[in-house]
Amino acid sequence: MSACIELVRASRWYGPVIALNDVTAAIGPGVTGLLGPNGAGKSTFLKLVAGQLAPSQGEVRLLGRPAWGSPEVFHRVGVCPETDAFWEGLTGWQFLLALLRLTGFDEAECRRRAEAALIQVDLLPAKDRRIAGYSKGMRQRVKLAQALAHDPEVLLLDEPVSGMDPVNRRRTVDLVKRLGREGRTIVVSSHILHEVEAMTRRVLLVHNGRILAEGDVREIRDLIDEHPHTVAVRARDPRCVARAAVATPSVVSVSFGAEGEWVTIQSGRPDELYAALQDVAIEAGVGEMYSPDENLESVFRYLVER
Amino acid sequence: MSRDTGRPLPFTAAARAVFTLSLEGMVWTRRSLVMSVLLGLPVLFAVLYRLTLAAKLPPSLSPVDLYGSIVAIYYVRNAVPLAALFYATALIADEVEQKTITHLFTRPLTRASILFGKFAAYAATTVSLTLPALAISFLLLTSTRGMEGVRAALGQLPRDMGVVTLGFLAYGALFTLLGVALRRPVIPGLLFLFLWELLVNMPGDLPRLTITAWLRSLLLHRPVEDGLLARIFTPGVLPAGESLAVLVLVTGACLALAAVAFARREYVLEQ
Repeated sequence: MSACIELVRASRWYGPVIALNDVTAAIGPGVTGLLGPNGAGKSTFLKLVAGQLAPSQGEVRLLGRPAWGSPEVFHRVGVCPETDAFWEGLTGWQFLLALLRLTGFDEAECRRRAEAALIQVDLLPAKDRRIAGYSKGMRQRVKLAQALAHDPEVLLLDEPVSGMDPVNRRRTVDLVKRLGREGRTIVVSSHILHEVEAMTRRVLLVHNGRILAEGDVREIRDLIDEHPHTVAVRARDPRCVARAAVATPSVVSVSFGAEGEWVTIQSGRPDELYAALQDVAIEAGVGEMYSPDENLESVFRYLVER
Repeated sequence: MSRDTGRPLPFTAAARAVFTLSLEGMVWTRRSLVMSVLLGLPVLFAVLYRLTLAAKLPPSLSPVDLYGSIVAIYYVRNAVPLAALFYATALIADEVEQKTITHLFTRPLTRASILFGKFAAYAATTVSLTLPALAISFLLLTSTRGMEGVRAALGQLPRDMGVVTLGFLAYGALFTLLGVALRRPVIPGLLFLFLWELLVNMPGDLPRLTITAWLRSLLLHRPVEDGLLARIFTPGVLPAGESLAVLVLVTGACLALAAVAFARREYVLEQ
Protein backbone atom coordinates (compact mmCIF):
# COMPACT_ATOMS: atom_id res chain seq x y z
CA MET A 1 0.00 0.00 0.00
CA SER A 2 1.53 3.34 -1.01
CA ALA A 3 0.92 5.86 1.75
CA CYS A 4 -0.32 9.31 0.76
CA ILE A 5 -0.23 10.38 4.40
CA GLU A 6 2.70 9.67 6.68
CA LEU A 7 3.39 10.69 10.23
CA VAL A 8 6.76 9.79 11.67
CA ARG A 9 7.07 10.25 15.43
CA ALA A 10 4.94 13.36 15.12
CA SER A 11 4.05 15.29 18.23
CA ARG A 12 2.21 18.50 18.71
CA TRP A 13 1.69 20.47 21.86
CA TYR A 14 -0.12 23.69 22.66
CA GLY A 15 1.95 25.32 25.38
CA PRO A 16 2.19 22.70 28.12
CA VAL A 17 -0.65 20.57 26.71
CA ILE A 18 0.29 17.60 24.52
CA ALA A 19 -2.36 17.16 21.86
CA LEU A 20 -0.59 14.49 19.83
CA ASN A 21 2.21 12.43 21.24
CA ASP A 22 4.85 10.59 19.20
CA VAL A 23 2.46 9.32 16.52
CA THR A 24 3.68 7.18 13.65
CA ALA A 25 1.16 6.18 11.00
CA ALA A 26 0.93 5.58 7.26
CA ILE A 27 -2.40 5.93 5.48
CA GLY A 28 -2.99 4.77 1.92
CA PRO A 29 -5.94 4.57 -0.49
CA GLY A 30 -9.38 3.70 0.83
CA VAL A 31 -11.30 5.03 3.80
CA THR A 32 -9.59 5.15 7.17
CA GLY A 33 -11.54 6.06 10.26
CA LEU A 34 -9.94 8.19 12.91
CA LEU A 35 -11.83 7.26 15.98
CA GLY A 36 -11.59 8.69 19.45
CA PRO A 37 -13.52 10.61 22.08
CA ASN A 38 -13.62 14.41 22.05
CA GLY A 39 -10.24 15.85 23.01
CA ALA A 40 -8.42 12.66 21.98
CA GLY A 41 -6.31 14.47 19.37
CA LYS A 42 -8.27 13.65 16.20
CA SER A 43 -8.63 17.24 15.04
CA THR A 44 -4.98 17.97 15.79
CA PHE A 45 -4.05 14.87 13.77
CA LEU A 46 -6.10 16.14 10.81
CA LYS A 47 -4.81 19.71 11.15
CA LEU A 48 -1.25 18.45 11.06
CA VAL A 49 -1.99 16.36 7.98
CA ALA A 50 -3.81 19.29 6.35
CA GLY A 51 -0.83 21.58 6.99
CA GLN A 52 -2.81 23.87 9.28
CA LEU A 53 -0.37 23.26 12.10
CA ALA A 54 3.32 22.44 12.10
CA PRO A 55 4.44 19.44 14.13
CA SER A 56 6.30 20.40 17.30
CA GLN A 57 8.45 17.35 16.73
CA GLY A 58 8.70 14.64 14.09
CA GLU A 59 7.51 14.71 10.52
CA VAL A 60 4.16 14.85 8.74
CA ARG A 61 4.05 14.25 4.99
CA LEU A 62 1.16 14.58 2.60
CA LEU A 63 1.49 13.26 -0.96
CA GLY A 64 5.23 12.97 -0.40
CA ARG A 65 5.72 16.59 0.73
CA PRO A 66 5.93 18.17 4.14
CA ALA A 67 2.34 18.94 5.07
CA TRP A 68 3.26 22.29 6.64
CA GLY A 69 4.15 24.93 4.07
CA SER A 70 3.23 23.03 0.89
CA PRO A 71 0.09 24.75 -0.43
CA GLU A 72 0.51 23.10 -3.83
CA VAL A 73 -0.79 19.81 -2.40
CA PHE A 74 -4.25 21.35 -2.13
CA HIS A 75 -4.73 20.90 -5.87
CA ARG A 76 -5.04 17.23 -4.90
CA VAL A 77 -6.38 17.39 -1.37
CA GLY A 78 -9.87 18.28 -0.13
CA VAL A 79 -10.50 19.29 3.45
CA CYS A 80 -13.85 19.34 5.24
CA PRO A 81 -12.98 21.08 8.53
CA GLU A 82 -14.89 20.56 11.73
CA THR A 83 -15.41 24.29 12.27
CA ASP A 84 -18.78 25.59 11.14
CA ALA A 85 -17.31 28.63 9.42
CA PHE A 86 -18.46 30.35 6.23
CA TRP A 87 -18.58 33.73 4.60
CA GLU A 88 -22.18 33.94 5.67
CA GLY A 89 -23.28 36.50 3.10
CA LEU A 90 -22.52 34.16 0.21
CA THR A 91 -24.97 31.69 -1.24
CA GLY A 92 -23.96 28.04 -1.44
CA TRP A 93 -23.32 28.52 -5.15
CA GLN A 94 -21.14 31.61 -4.65
CA PHE A 95 -19.21 29.85 -1.88
CA LEU A 96 -18.34 26.92 -4.12
CA LEU A 97 -17.49 29.15 -7.08
CA ALA A 98 -15.20 31.26 -4.91
CA LEU A 99 -13.31 28.26 -3.57
CA LEU A 100 -13.01 26.69 -7.02
CA ARG A 101 -11.60 29.96 -8.36
CA LEU A 102 -9.08 29.82 -5.53
CA THR A 103 -8.12 26.36 -6.78
CA GLY A 104 -7.29 27.74 -10.23
CA PHE A 105 -10.17 26.65 -12.44
CA ASP A 106 -11.53 28.87 -15.16
CA GLU A 107 -15.05 30.25 -14.87
CA ALA A 108 -16.80 27.61 -16.99
CA GLU A 109 -15.04 24.80 -15.15
CA CYS A 110 -15.88 26.40 -11.79
CA ARG A 111 -19.56 26.41 -12.72
CA ARG A 112 -19.52 22.84 -13.96
CA ARG A 113 -17.75 21.57 -10.87
CA ALA A 114 -19.83 23.61 -8.45
CA GLU A 115 -23.01 22.21 -9.93
CA ALA A 116 -21.69 18.63 -9.87
CA ALA A 117 -20.59 18.97 -6.24
CA LEU A 118 -23.94 20.43 -5.16
CA ILE A 119 -25.73 17.57 -6.90
CA GLN A 120 -23.48 15.10 -5.06
CA VAL A 121 -24.58 16.45 -1.68
CA ASP A 122 -28.18 17.05 -2.80
CA LEU A 123 -28.02 20.79 -2.30
CA LEU A 124 -28.62 22.06 -5.82
CA PRO A 125 -32.19 23.28 -5.13
CA ALA A 126 -30.88 25.47 -2.28
CA LYS A 127 -27.85 26.78 -4.15
CA ASP A 128 -29.10 30.36 -4.38
CA ARG A 129 -29.94 30.68 -0.70
CA ARG A 130 -27.52 32.43 1.61
CA ILE A 131 -25.48 30.07 3.75
CA ALA A 132 -26.55 32.11 6.78
CA GLY A 133 -30.05 30.70 6.21
CA TYR A 134 -28.94 27.07 5.86
CA SER A 135 -29.75 24.47 8.52
CA LYS A 136 -26.90 22.74 10.36
CA GLY A 137 -27.15 19.74 8.04
CA MET A 138 -27.11 21.91 4.90
CA ARG A 139 -24.07 23.79 6.16
CA GLN A 140 -22.36 20.49 6.74
CA ARG A 141 -23.23 19.38 3.22
CA VAL A 142 -22.00 22.55 1.53
CA LYS A 143 -18.76 22.17 3.48
CA LEU A 144 -18.46 18.65 2.16
CA ALA A 145 -19.24 19.86 -1.38
CA GLN A 146 -16.33 22.32 -1.32
CA ALA A 147 -14.00 19.51 -0.25
CA LEU A 148 -15.15 17.33 -3.16
CA ALA A 149 -15.59 19.91 -5.90
CA HIS A 150 -12.03 19.88 -7.23
CA ASP A 151 -12.02 16.07 -7.39
CA PRO A 152 -9.16 15.51 -4.95
CA GLU A 153 -7.13 12.32 -4.50
CA VAL A 154 -6.98 12.80 -0.74
CA LEU A 155 -9.93 13.78 1.43
CA LEU A 156 -9.64 14.82 5.05
CA LEU A 157 -13.09 14.86 6.63
CA ASP A 158 -13.46 16.03 10.21
CA GLU A 159 -16.80 14.82 11.63
CA PRO A 160 -18.46 15.05 8.19
CA VAL A 161 -21.93 13.82 9.10
CA SER A 162 -22.27 15.74 12.34
CA GLY A 163 -25.65 17.50 12.43
CA MET A 164 -27.04 15.80 9.32
CA ASP A 165 -30.49 14.25 9.26
CA PRO A 166 -30.66 10.45 8.84
CA VAL A 167 -31.33 10.52 5.10
CA ASN A 168 -28.37 12.76 4.31
CA ARG A 169 -26.23 10.92 6.84
CA ARG A 170 -26.91 7.73 4.88
CA ARG A 171 -26.20 9.46 1.55
CA THR A 172 -22.95 10.91 2.84
CA VAL A 173 -21.81 7.56 4.19
CA ASP A 174 -22.54 5.97 0.81
CA LEU A 175 -20.70 8.78 -0.98
CA VAL A 176 -17.61 8.41 1.20
CA LYS A 177 -17.62 4.64 0.69
CA ARG A 178 -17.91 5.07 -3.07
CA LEU A 179 -15.07 7.61 -3.17
CA GLY A 180 -12.95 5.22 -1.13
CA ARG A 181 -13.67 2.39 -3.53
CA GLU A 182 -12.56 4.65 -6.40
CA GLY A 183 -9.09 4.59 -4.85
CA ARG A 184 -9.00 7.92 -3.08
CA THR A 185 -7.29 8.24 0.26
CA ILE A 186 -9.91 9.33 2.76
CA VAL A 187 -9.49 9.99 6.45
CA VAL A 188 -12.74 10.42 8.37
CA SER A 189 -12.63 11.47 11.98
CA SER A 190 -15.46 10.78 14.36
CA HIS A 191 -16.16 10.11 17.99
CA ILE A 192 -18.98 7.76 16.98
CA LEU A 193 -17.99 4.20 16.26
CA HIS A 194 -21.17 3.47 14.39
CA GLU A 195 -20.52 6.32 11.96
CA VAL A 196 -17.01 5.18 11.19
CA GLU A 197 -18.06 1.57 10.97
CA ALA A 198 -20.64 2.46 8.34
CA MET A 199 -17.87 3.86 6.12
CA THR A 200 -14.91 1.58 6.71
CA ARG A 201 -13.47 -1.30 8.68
CA ARG A 202 -10.01 0.24 8.88
CA VAL A 203 -9.61 2.45 11.92
CA LEU A 204 -6.99 4.30 13.90
CA LEU A 205 -8.00 4.59 17.52
CA VAL A 206 -6.80 7.82 19.08
CA HIS A 207 -6.81 8.44 22.78
CA ASN A 208 -4.94 11.02 24.85
CA GLY A 209 -2.92 12.05 21.81
CA ARG A 210 -1.66 8.59 21.00
CA ILE A 211 -2.61 5.94 18.47
CA LEU A 212 -4.01 3.33 20.79
CA ALA A 213 -4.76 0.70 18.16
CA GLU A 214 -4.86 0.33 14.42
CA GLY A 215 -6.84 -2.24 12.49
CA ASP A 216 -10.27 -3.74 12.02
CA VAL A 217 -13.25 -1.97 13.49
CA ARG A 218 -15.06 -5.26 14.29
CA GLU A 219 -12.99 -5.89 17.38
CA ILE A 220 -14.01 -2.54 18.74
CA ARG A 221 -17.56 -3.22 17.73
CA ASP A 222 -17.66 -6.30 19.90
CA LEU A 223 -16.67 -4.15 22.82
CA ILE A 224 -19.08 -1.37 22.07
CA ASP A 225 -22.02 -3.76 21.95
CA GLU A 226 -21.57 -4.12 25.67
CA HIS A 227 -22.25 -0.38 26.07
CA PRO A 228 -25.57 1.15 24.97
CA HIS A 229 -25.20 3.70 22.19
CA THR A 230 -26.79 7.09 22.90
CA VAL A 231 -28.40 9.19 20.16
CA ALA A 232 -30.01 12.61 20.64
CA VAL A 233 -32.60 13.52 17.98
CA ARG A 234 -34.28 16.87 17.35
CA ALA A 235 -37.59 16.49 15.54
CA ARG A 236 -40.76 18.42 14.87
CA ASP A 237 -42.70 15.46 16.27
CA PRO A 238 -40.50 13.92 18.97
CA ARG A 239 -43.27 11.50 20.01
CA CYS A 240 -43.23 9.93 16.55
CA VAL A 241 -39.47 9.39 16.92
CA ALA A 242 -40.00 7.90 20.39
CA ARG A 243 -42.68 5.51 19.07
CA ALA A 244 -40.33 4.27 16.35
CA ALA A 245 -37.53 3.84 18.89
CA VAL A 246 -39.67 1.95 21.39
CA ALA A 247 -40.75 -0.43 18.62
CA THR A 248 -37.08 -1.34 18.06
CA PRO A 249 -36.08 -4.36 20.20
CA SER A 250 -32.54 -3.17 20.95
CA VAL A 251 -33.61 0.16 22.44
CA VAL A 252 -32.84 0.34 26.14
CA SER A 253 -34.31 3.73 27.05
CA VAL A 254 -36.08 6.77 25.59
CA SER A 255 -36.28 10.16 27.27
CA PHE A 256 -37.57 13.59 26.22
CA GLY A 257 -35.40 16.70 26.50
CA ALA A 258 -36.48 19.74 28.48
CA GLU A 259 -36.79 21.90 25.34
CA GLY A 260 -39.49 19.68 23.91
CA GLU A 261 -37.99 18.96 20.48
CA TRP A 262 -35.25 16.59 21.61
CA VAL A 263 -35.47 12.85 22.31
CA THR A 264 -32.55 10.89 23.72
CA ILE A 265 -32.45 7.19 22.89
CA GLN A 266 -30.13 4.45 24.13
CA SER A 267 -29.71 1.33 22.02
CA GLY A 268 -27.55 -1.78 22.10
CA ARG A 269 -27.72 -2.02 18.29
CA PRO A 270 -27.04 1.36 16.67
CA ASP A 271 -27.56 -0.07 13.15
CA GLU A 272 -31.09 -1.10 13.99
CA LEU A 273 -31.86 2.22 15.65
CA TYR A 274 -30.55 4.34 12.74
CA ALA A 275 -32.58 2.25 10.28
CA ALA A 276 -35.72 2.83 12.34
CA LEU A 277 -34.99 6.57 12.55
CA GLN A 278 -34.45 6.77 8.84
CA ASP A 279 -37.89 5.21 8.25
CA VAL A 280 -39.66 7.94 10.25
CA ALA A 281 -37.31 10.83 9.44
CA ILE A 282 -39.66 12.65 7.08
CA GLU A 283 -42.88 11.92 8.97
CA ALA A 284 -41.39 13.09 12.28
CA GLY A 285 -39.52 16.01 10.74
CA VAL A 286 -36.12 14.93 12.04
CA GLY A 287 -33.86 17.96 11.74
CA GLU A 288 -30.69 17.09 13.59
CA MET A 289 -29.11 14.24 15.49
CA TYR A 290 -25.88 13.64 17.28
CA SER A 291 -24.34 11.04 19.48
CA PRO A 292 -22.63 11.92 22.73
CA ASP A 293 -19.46 9.92 23.15
CA GLU A 294 -19.81 8.59 26.66
CA ASN A 295 -20.15 5.06 25.38
CA LEU A 296 -16.98 5.32 23.30
CA GLU A 297 -15.21 6.86 26.24
CA SER A 298 -16.07 3.80 28.30
CA VAL A 299 -14.73 1.53 25.57
CA PHE A 300 -11.49 3.50 25.54
CA ARG A 301 -11.22 3.24 29.29
CA TYR A 302 -11.67 -0.48 28.90
CA LEU A 303 -8.99 -0.66 26.18
CA VAL A 304 -6.52 1.41 28.16
CA GLU A 305 -6.99 -0.70 31.26
CA ARG A 306 -6.84 -3.99 29.35
CA MET B 1 -6.61 28.10 -17.64
CA SER B 2 -4.28 25.09 -17.51
CA ARG B 3 -3.44 24.10 -13.97
CA ASP B 4 0.03 23.13 -12.87
CA THR B 5 -0.86 20.97 -9.89
CA GLY B 6 2.76 20.69 -8.81
CA ARG B 7 2.90 24.35 -7.77
CA PRO B 8 0.73 26.83 -5.91
CA LEU B 9 -1.42 29.06 -8.13
CA PRO B 10 0.55 31.82 -9.86
CA PHE B 11 0.81 34.83 -7.57
CA THR B 12 -1.27 37.30 -9.58
CA ALA B 13 -4.05 34.83 -10.38
CA ALA B 14 -4.23 33.79 -6.73
CA ALA B 15 -4.17 37.36 -5.42
CA ARG B 16 -6.89 38.32 -7.93
CA ALA B 17 -9.13 35.45 -6.80
CA VAL B 18 -8.63 36.41 -3.14
CA PHE B 19 -9.26 40.06 -4.03
CA THR B 20 -12.58 39.21 -5.73
CA LEU B 21 -13.70 37.09 -2.80
CA SER B 22 -12.65 39.65 -0.19
CA LEU B 23 -13.94 42.79 -1.87
CA GLU B 24 -17.64 42.09 -1.50
CA GLY B 25 -17.20 40.85 2.04
CA MET B 26 -15.31 44.01 2.88
CA VAL B 27 -17.72 46.50 1.31
CA TRP B 28 -20.93 45.19 2.87
CA THR B 29 -19.90 45.25 6.50
CA ARG B 30 -20.76 47.32 9.56
CA ARG B 31 -17.15 48.51 9.57
CA SER B 32 -17.56 49.93 6.06
CA LEU B 33 -20.77 51.65 7.07
CA VAL B 34 -19.00 53.41 9.95
CA MET B 35 -15.99 54.17 7.77
CA SER B 36 -18.13 55.59 4.98
CA VAL B 37 -19.53 58.06 7.53
CA LEU B 38 -16.03 58.91 8.77
CA LEU B 39 -14.60 59.26 5.27
CA GLY B 40 -17.66 61.02 3.85
CA LEU B 41 -18.00 63.61 6.62
CA PRO B 42 -16.17 66.35 4.66
CA VAL B 43 -19.10 66.43 2.25
CA LEU B 44 -21.24 67.50 5.19
CA PHE B 45 -18.65 70.16 6.14
CA ALA B 46 -18.78 71.48 2.60
CA VAL B 47 -22.58 71.53 2.52
CA LEU B 48 -22.67 73.39 5.85
CA TYR B 49 -20.13 75.86 4.52
CA ARG B 50 -22.29 76.51 1.46
CA LEU B 51 -25.32 76.97 3.69
CA THR B 52 -23.34 79.47 5.76
CA LEU B 53 -22.53 81.40 2.61
CA ALA B 54 -26.13 81.22 1.45
CA ALA B 55 -27.23 82.62 4.81
CA LYS B 56 -24.77 85.46 4.24
CA LEU B 57 -22.88 84.70 7.45
CA PRO B 58 -19.23 85.73 7.31
CA PRO B 59 -17.03 82.61 6.99
CA SER B 60 -13.78 82.49 8.94
CA LEU B 61 -12.01 80.52 6.22
CA SER B 62 -11.96 80.87 2.49
CA PRO B 63 -13.46 77.88 0.66
CA VAL B 64 -10.08 76.90 -0.78
CA ASP B 65 -8.47 77.06 2.67
CA LEU B 66 -11.27 74.94 4.11
CA TYR B 67 -10.71 72.41 1.35
CA GLY B 68 -6.97 72.43 2.11
CA SER B 69 -7.69 71.79 5.79
CA ILE B 70 -10.04 68.95 4.92
CA VAL B 71 -7.32 67.27 2.88
CA ALA B 72 -4.33 67.94 5.11
CA ILE B 73 -5.82 67.82 8.59
CA TYR B 74 -9.00 65.80 8.31
CA TYR B 75 -7.98 63.16 5.79
CA VAL B 76 -4.19 62.87 5.86
CA ARG B 77 -3.68 63.40 9.58
CA ASN B 78 -6.77 61.67 10.99
CA ALA B 79 -9.34 59.85 8.86
CA VAL B 80 -6.98 58.01 6.52
CA PRO B 81 -4.74 56.59 9.26
CA LEU B 82 -7.74 55.68 11.42
CA ALA B 83 -9.57 53.94 8.58
CA ALA B 84 -6.33 52.16 7.66
CA LEU B 85 -5.90 51.06 11.26
CA PHE B 86 -9.37 49.57 11.57
CA TYR B 87 -9.38 47.90 8.16
CA ALA B 88 -5.82 46.70 7.78
CA THR B 89 -5.30 45.24 11.24
CA ALA B 90 -8.46 43.18 10.63
CA LEU B 91 -7.51 41.86 7.18
CA ILE B 92 -6.37 38.50 8.49
CA ALA B 93 -7.77 38.79 12.03
CA ASP B 94 -11.36 38.77 10.73
CA GLU B 95 -10.77 35.53 8.82
CA VAL B 96 -9.19 34.00 11.90
CA GLU B 97 -11.96 35.17 14.19
CA GLN B 98 -14.65 33.82 11.86
CA LYS B 99 -12.51 30.70 11.30
CA THR B 100 -12.89 31.10 7.53
CA ILE B 101 -9.10 31.25 7.23
CA THR B 102 -9.19 27.44 7.02
CA HIS B 103 -10.89 27.68 3.63
CA LEU B 104 -8.10 29.91 2.34
CA PHE B 105 -5.32 27.79 3.83
CA THR B 106 -6.66 24.60 2.26
CA ARG B 107 -6.36 25.93 -1.30
CA PRO B 108 -3.21 25.91 -3.42
CA LEU B 109 -2.38 29.50 -2.54
CA THR B 110 0.79 30.92 -1.10
CA ARG B 111 0.13 32.91 2.02
CA ALA B 112 1.73 35.95 0.38
CA SER B 113 -0.87 35.85 -2.39
CA ILE B 114 -3.67 35.66 0.21
CA LEU B 115 -2.25 38.67 2.02
CA PHE B 116 -1.75 40.75 -1.12
CA GLY B 117 -5.22 39.88 -2.43
CA LYS B 118 -6.77 41.01 0.81
CA PHE B 119 -4.61 44.14 0.93
CA ALA B 120 -5.71 45.03 -2.60
CA ALA B 121 -9.35 44.62 -1.53
CA TYR B 122 -8.70 46.91 1.45
CA ALA B 123 -7.08 49.53 -0.77
CA ALA B 124 -9.93 49.39 -3.30
CA THR B 125 -12.55 49.68 -0.56
CA THR B 126 -11.01 52.59 1.31
CA VAL B 127 -10.07 54.51 -1.81
CA SER B 128 -13.51 54.06 -3.33
CA LEU B 129 -15.12 55.28 -0.10
CA THR B 130 -12.84 58.31 0.14
CA LEU B 131 -12.07 59.71 -3.29
CA PRO B 132 -15.70 60.43 -4.31
CA ALA B 133 -16.25 62.27 -1.01
CA LEU B 134 -13.03 64.21 -1.55
CA ALA B 135 -14.07 65.15 -5.10
CA ILE B 136 -17.56 66.22 -4.01
CA SER B 137 -16.13 68.36 -1.19
CA PHE B 138 -13.71 69.91 -3.67
CA LEU B 139 -16.51 70.75 -6.11
CA LEU B 140 -18.82 72.12 -3.41
CA LEU B 141 -16.13 74.37 -1.98
CA THR B 142 -14.32 75.57 -5.09
CA SER B 143 -17.54 76.25 -6.99
CA THR B 144 -18.46 79.05 -4.58
CA ARG B 145 -16.69 81.26 -7.09
CA GLY B 146 -18.34 79.57 -10.03
CA MET B 147 -16.69 77.38 -12.60
CA GLU B 148 -13.73 79.70 -12.69
CA GLY B 149 -12.95 78.80 -9.09
CA VAL B 150 -13.21 75.11 -9.89
CA ARG B 151 -10.91 75.47 -12.88
CA ALA B 152 -8.36 77.49 -10.90
CA ALA B 153 -8.05 74.82 -8.20
CA LEU B 154 -8.58 71.76 -10.38
CA GLY B 155 -4.85 70.98 -10.58
CA GLN B 156 -4.84 70.24 -6.83
CA LEU B 157 -7.47 67.53 -6.92
CA PRO B 158 -5.52 64.72 -8.62
CA ARG B 159 -2.53 65.45 -6.41
CA ASP B 160 -4.69 65.32 -3.27
CA MET B 161 -6.29 62.10 -4.42
CA GLY B 162 -2.86 60.64 -5.04
CA VAL B 163 -1.64 61.65 -1.57
CA VAL B 164 -4.73 60.21 0.11
CA THR B 165 -4.27 56.97 -1.84
CA LEU B 166 -0.61 56.84 -0.85
CA GLY B 167 -1.67 57.42 2.74
CA PHE B 168 -4.01 54.42 2.61
CA LEU B 169 -1.25 52.30 1.09
CA ALA B 170 1.51 53.30 3.52
CA TYR B 171 -0.56 53.23 6.70
CA GLY B 172 -2.42 50.16 5.47
CA ALA B 173 0.80 48.25 4.88
CA LEU B 174 2.12 49.21 8.31
CA PHE B 175 -1.10 48.17 10.05
CA THR B 176 -1.30 44.97 8.02
CA LEU B 177 2.13 44.14 9.41
CA LEU B 178 0.95 44.93 12.95
CA GLY B 179 -2.20 42.86 12.38
CA VAL B 180 -0.21 39.84 11.29
CA ALA B 181 2.57 40.15 13.85
CA LEU B 182 0.59 41.06 16.96
CA ARG B 183 -2.33 39.40 18.67
CA ARG B 184 -3.91 42.74 19.65
CA PRO B 185 -2.74 45.33 17.15
CA VAL B 186 -5.29 48.13 17.61
CA ILE B 187 -3.84 49.69 20.79
CA PRO B 188 -0.26 49.74 19.44
CA GLY B 189 -1.70 51.19 16.23
CA LEU B 190 -3.50 53.97 18.09
CA LEU B 191 -0.34 54.71 20.08
CA PHE B 192 1.58 54.94 16.83
CA LEU B 193 -0.96 57.34 15.33
CA PHE B 194 -1.50 59.62 18.29
CA LEU B 195 1.89 59.54 20.01
CA TRP B 196 4.59 58.51 17.59
CA GLU B 197 3.20 60.52 14.72
CA LEU B 198 3.42 63.68 16.88
CA LEU B 199 7.13 63.61 16.10
CA VAL B 200 6.06 65.38 12.94
CA ASN B 201 5.97 68.59 15.01
CA MET B 202 9.48 68.13 16.39
CA PRO B 203 12.47 70.02 15.08
CA GLY B 204 15.34 68.53 13.13
CA ASP B 205 15.14 65.20 11.39
CA LEU B 206 12.63 63.62 13.79
CA PRO B 207 9.63 64.23 11.48
CA ARG B 208 11.32 61.92 8.98
CA LEU B 209 10.48 59.06 11.33
CA THR B 210 6.77 59.60 10.75
CA ILE B 211 4.59 58.72 7.80
CA THR B 212 2.55 61.87 8.08
CA ALA B 213 5.54 64.16 7.46
CA TRP B 214 6.24 62.51 4.12
CA LEU B 215 2.58 62.60 3.14
CA ARG B 216 2.17 66.27 4.03
CA SER B 217 5.26 67.16 2.07
CA LEU B 218 3.50 65.98 -1.05
CA LEU B 219 0.56 68.31 -0.48
CA LEU B 220 0.46 71.84 -1.82
CA HIS B 221 -1.87 73.07 0.93
CA ARG B 222 -0.03 75.26 3.43
CA PRO B 223 -0.94 76.95 6.75
CA VAL B 224 -4.00 79.10 6.59
CA GLU B 225 -3.60 81.27 9.67
CA ASP B 226 -1.92 81.51 13.05
CA GLY B 227 -3.10 79.38 15.93
CA LEU B 228 -2.95 75.83 17.15
CA LEU B 229 -3.93 74.22 13.86
CA ALA B 230 -1.37 76.26 12.05
CA ARG B 231 1.36 75.29 14.48
CA ILE B 232 0.49 71.61 14.12
CA PHE B 233 0.47 72.17 10.44
CA THR B 234 3.89 73.71 9.96
CA PRO B 235 6.54 71.02 9.86
CA GLY B 236 9.39 71.47 7.45
CA VAL B 237 8.60 70.43 3.92
CA LEU B 238 10.57 67.42 2.74
CA PRO B 239 11.54 67.01 -0.92
CA ALA B 240 8.61 65.65 -2.96
CA GLY B 241 10.64 63.03 -4.83
CA GLU B 242 12.16 61.74 -1.63
CA SER B 243 8.72 61.70 0.02
CA LEU B 244 7.26 59.63 -2.76
CA ALA B 245 10.18 57.19 -2.66
CA VAL B 246 10.00 56.83 1.13
CA LEU B 247 6.26 56.18 1.09
CA VAL B 248 6.57 53.56 -1.63
CA LEU B 249 9.46 52.00 0.26
CA VAL B 250 7.54 51.94 3.56
CA THR B 251 4.57 50.32 1.81
CA GLY B 252 6.72 47.71 0.08
CA ALA B 253 8.84 46.90 3.12
CA CYS B 254 5.87 46.59 5.48
CA LEU B 255 3.97 44.37 3.05
CA ALA B 256 7.01 42.17 2.48
CA LEU B 257 7.56 41.78 6.23
CA ALA B 258 3.86 41.11 6.74
CA ALA B 259 3.98 38.40 4.07
CA VAL B 260 6.96 36.74 5.78
CA ALA B 261 5.30 36.91 9.21
CA PHE B 262 2.02 35.59 7.81
CA ALA B 263 3.73 32.68 6.05
CA ARG B 264 5.44 31.60 9.26
CA ARG B 265 2.60 32.08 11.68
CA GLU B 266 0.35 29.27 12.83
CA TYR B 267 -3.27 30.00 13.52
CA VAL B 268 -4.67 27.73 16.19
CA LEU B 269 -8.41 28.15 15.86
CA GLU B 270 -10.33 27.69 19.07
CA GLN B 271 -13.11 25.14 18.80
